[in-house]
Amino acid sequence: MTPSSLKYLLKEGFKNVWCNRTMSLASVVVLISCLLLTGAAVVFSMNVNEAMASLEASNSLTVYLDENLNNLESIAVGNEIKKLDNIDPTQCVYVPKDDAIQKYTNILGEDGEILSGLTGENNPLPNAYRVTLIDLEKYDETVAQISALKGVYKINDVSDIADKLTSMDQIVKIVCICVVTFLGVVSLFIISNTIRVTMYSRRLEISIMKSVGATNGFIRIPFVVEGMIIGLISGALSSALLLLAYGPLAGAISGIMASFQAIPMVSFAWWIVLGFLGAGILVGMVGGLISMGKYLKKEGDSIDW
Amino acid sequence: MIQFRNVSKTYSNGTVALRNVNLDVDKGEFVFIVGSSGAGKSTFLKLIMCEERPESGEIVVNGHKLSEVRKGDVPYLRRTMGIVFQDFRLIHTMNVYDNVAFAMHVVGASNRMIRKRVPYILGVVGLQDKMKCRPAELSGGEQQRVGLARALVNNPKMIIADEPTGNVDPELSFEIVDLLSEINRRGTTILMVTHEHNLVRHFNRRVIEIHDGSIVADTAAMQEEVMA
Repeated sequence: MTPSSLKYLLKEGFKNVWCNRTMSLASVVVLISCLLLTGAAVVFSMNVNEAMASLEASNSLTVYLDENLNNLESIAVGNEIKKLDNIDPTQCVYVPKDDAIQKYTNILGEDGEILSGLTGENNPLPNAYRVTLIDLEKYDETVAQISALKGVYKINDVSDIADKLTSMDQIVKIVCICVVTFLGVVSLFIISNTIRVTMYSRRLEISIMKSVGATNGFIRIPFVVEGMIIGLISGALSSALLLLAYGPLAGAISGIMASFQAIPMVSFAWWIVLGFLGAGILVGMVGGLISMGKYLKKEGDSIDW
Repeated sequence: MIQFRNVSKTYSNGTVALRNVNLDVDKGEFVFIVGSSGAGKSTFLKLIMCEERPESGEIVVNGHKLSEVRKGDVPYLRRTMGIVFQDFRLIHTMNVYDNVAFAMHVVGASNRMIRKRVPYILGVVGLQDKMKCRPAELSGGEQQRVGLARALVNNPKMIIADEPTGNVDPELSFEIVDLLSEINRRGTTILMVTHEHNLVRHFNRRVIEIHDGSIVADTAAMQEEVMA
């Protein structure tokens, strides 16, 4: 194929998109929804995995004490905890409930005022010990030992959080696979119909092309280019939308869950852009190809459909 | 140039279009193909263009046995032919120049070649002053000349004209056939299907008459018999 042919075919592909812009727009919107959902699921999963890795690597626990314990009793519980084999006694720190509420007030920043009434007697938080484990292998055993101590109200057991995160991740993955598969099929259907409409409106040109000796490959290229342009636009817009939404969303989640540390966007932005563009182009191209098969077999007057 | 040997064609709905047709068209000939509607004229052209395949028999076009031409090679065979349609088949969103250039883009011609060749061909058909016009701004005869220019622009060995004068005024019909005759004089073989007997009589060329799928008259064969 000569460069001038290629230039001509690319121009025809762009012309197809523009002449059939309403259908092209519909295809772009559906494909964006599909890509955004896929991307959101991937980013969510990445963050959950990161959070789990960070939880699993964490060797500290918070041990909440019974509300009714006085200061002496609280110190006694602390001493009991320090005696345990798997506890580093130098890293067993008492966190009074007033310090805890102050910490949350600081995290909430300007919104911290809502906690202003929860000081002193009104403070709902329990006193606690922040303890560090020596050997993570004995995690479950140590948690059981601390739980058995008198005066211990509750332990923030990270394995529980990890289980919840895992099950949430799995649910999100399953829902996303179903929705993305459905939207993927819808995208292919809409793109192939968009291209079919273009082919119908250009049937005269196709019949003339065939009569003057155009190969099927030559006839196919502008329509495949049309699908690829739709895919490219969808990929670019959806990656921009996802990346723009990621910062504020991650910030909002951090506001609700103080322990949540979102993965920095720079670490995956290029993968999202490349993945979306690649997926968009691929879906567009496949949509273009599947819509043409049977029409290319038609000859002469039968091209008039 | 074209050989039909015992060619028969029956469509899937049972319609017999051609029955045991035998004929030869030599290079540089001008042949009128006449016959009533449904006689098999269009099928005859479709078989030459490889739009249809015969049920039996052998067709040779430009030295190629069509039964041996692979599907992927059909476009290359068609590039040796120029097709002129009764309904012109011009693209109304393109001007005259682009309608003709379009046929050259399809075969992968360079832009330089297109810029050189299209004005020349439009000059041959007498439309050099109408290059920027849209088809709707032209008369029927002029539109058909654009169709003829498009058929000629890739320099085919043969022109297949399927009732090219069917949609133009009678006086313009002579103009179109005059043009085809001029092209024929330059060495291009012409196959023209027509219903207009006055044209056939006026131009005094070889005439093949098809009736009910069979060749019932061929002036070339008659001449050979007389000579014999």
